[in-house]
Amino acid sequence: MSEKSRGPVYVERMSILFRIQHLLLMISLLVLAITGFALMYYENALAQVLIRLEGGVLYRGIIHRSAAVFLMAQLVYHAFYMLISREGKRELKEIWLTRRDFDDFLQAMRYNLGMGNEYPRFGKYGYKEKFQYWGATAGVFLISVTGMILWAETFSMRFLPKFVLDLTLIIHGYQGLLIFVILLFWHLYIVHLHPSVFPMNWAWLTGKVDAEWIREEHPLEYEKLKGEGVL
Amino acid sequence: MKSLRSFLIAALLAAAAVALATTAGAGPTVGDCQECHGDKTMEKSLPDGRTLSLFVDGNLFRESVHGKAECTACHTDATVPHGKLAAVACGRCHPDAQKSYSQSTHGIAHAKGVKDVPGCEDCHGKHDIRKVQDPKARTFRLNIVGVCLKCHEDRVIEEKYGLPDQKVMEAYRNSVHGMASKKSGLLGAAVCPDCHGNHMILPGDQPRSATHRQNIPTLCGKCHSGILEEYELSVHGKGMRAGIAESPVCTDCHGEHTITKITDPRSKVYVMNIPKTCTACHGNEAISTRYALPKKRFSTYMDSFHGVALEYGMTKAANCASCHGFHKILPSSDPASTVNKANLPKTCGKCHPNAGVNFAKGDIHVEVTPEKAMGVFAVRIFYTIFIGVLIILFVLHVGMDLLGRRRRLETKPEEKKE
Repeated sequence: MSEKSRGPVYVERMSILFRIQHLLLMISLLVLAITGFALMYYENALAQVLIRLEGGVLYRGIIHRSAAVFLMAQLVYHAFYMLISREGKRELKEIWLTRRDFDDFLQAMRYNLGMGNEYPRFGKYGYKEKFQYWGATAGVFLISVTGMILWAETFSMRFLPKFVLDLTLIIHGYQGLLIFVILLFWHLYIVHLHPSVFPMNWAWLTGKVDAEWIREEHPLEYEKLKGEGVL
Repeated sequence: MKSLRSFLIAALLAAAAVALATTAGAGPTVGDCQECHGDKTMEKSLPDGRTLSLFVDGNLFRESVHGKAECTACHTDATVPHGKLAAVACGRCHPDAQKSYSQSTHGIAHAKGVKDVPGCEDCHGKHDIRKVQDPKARTFRLNIVGVCLKCHEDRVIEEKYGLPDQKVMEAYRNSVHGMASKKSGLLGAAVCPDCHGNHMILPGDQPRSATHRQNIPTLCGKCHSGILEEYELSVHGKGMRAGIAESPVCTDCHGEHTITKITDPRSKVYVMNIPKTCTACHGNEAISTRYALPKKRFSTYMDSFHGVALEYGMTKAANCASCHGFHKILPSSDPASTVNKANLPKTCGKCHPNAGVNFAKGDIHVEVTPEKAMGVFAVRIFYTIFIGVLIILFVLHVGMDLLGRRRRLETKPEEKKE
């Protein structure tokens, strides 16, 4: 029996815990972006509407910081989960950045441009997922540190000259923009606009993906699952 | 000796008799005049058909400041009976007032024969003149505004002579001075003549006018003397005394007739309006160039969190005056200035108690240029380029990825054939 004649087989890609983490992360990042950019681009008419909607600069700040605390709590929870739990340890191994990912990336580019004949074979997470994960994590870490310095401004002022705080403010804002750009151009592409998943990869809601998709996009994972007898 | 004394007594008696006889013979007494002028119906027809009442209220006259004098003290040519009398000349007894008045804008117009312009009696009254301290006097502090506004709120007169319009008068009524006078009956509140003078009123553009720019600080300082003292020490006060025309005086920041309390949102010096008020001069290219003032103060403030917060109504956010002071503003180079480097920890510390000497390093108004704030400038450029390049790479990657995917799909059937 050919594989195509079989009905689609679904395998789990995101456990319920990861789906919840993803959802909370999405909500807090959106809130932070809306409240943050409203202040960063306060001259913009839309930003002014947003600030008014958020209850003025005072409440905008309170909302922003509440969401930030929430995000940082998630970051800490996620770090512990990845380091301690069985599922987390397994996922960490999968997503861990290695030399091979950069080779994969270059190989993929060569292939895409017709300069190579072999497209890299990815495991559960290819270079696209890994770059995004580590890029966003580093970004969120940097924006959290600068954010806390700015939040505790009376404390920071005791140690830091004003120009350092000026720098912190600039970094905080642009770092937010950077994260936003990553989400818009990278994440949206790989989980929404990529032809293999368009209109979207439903895994963030159902947790499951088509085995056929895994075979095409993540062949090493497919073989691993086959070897484990899941498929 | 005896003969000398009797001679002196006789002479005295004779003098008294002569004096009596002269008075009696010189003219009618108040009582004589009142015989006719005490009649309420007494009137005279004017050529234009109107009638003029010739009634004089004897009681009001006796209560007036001139009540003990005879009618003839002013109406020197009055006899019983009499025809048309000469105009009363107040200046005979009040030469100083007469002199001031004649130099005033009212007096000059009066001399030219302008009929609408007020003479003595229009402000002081005629037979019922009272002392200015008397609450019933027209010129009493709480009554005088109404007297001035009788003409100065008359649209016809305003238009005819190009006077400040009703808006100005309305503004005064609603100002802190007008309200204090009218609503609270405060005697200390400024009324028209306190600023404009009484007899010697001149338009503000004339150097001799009490309300000329050069005289404003001294004028306001008559009541606000503590503030005048501070102002005189400030860069604005010193500049103004040195004859720098652009140096602000009280009214430039507070307004004139529109002066309200600083807690009033309409005030030019209400917290939310202060940046705009200061910027009127400090954002003026010509002024800041001529006097070598630091530039871009407004835009750099508005770009700071203080500026944004204030604009969105957080009134406790620092405005210009929070750091620079108000009446006693000094340049940052002055060791006594609140924004002198050495004093910044204290000034910032008003709101940020932990701001120490270390904190005061670096510019407060951050002008993002390589010379003024290299760090911020570099970070901004770095991120802008970084994000820009990243976006280009992302788009390129998407394009290449799609290209590669097509190639993969094309080659797949071949693989199957093998």
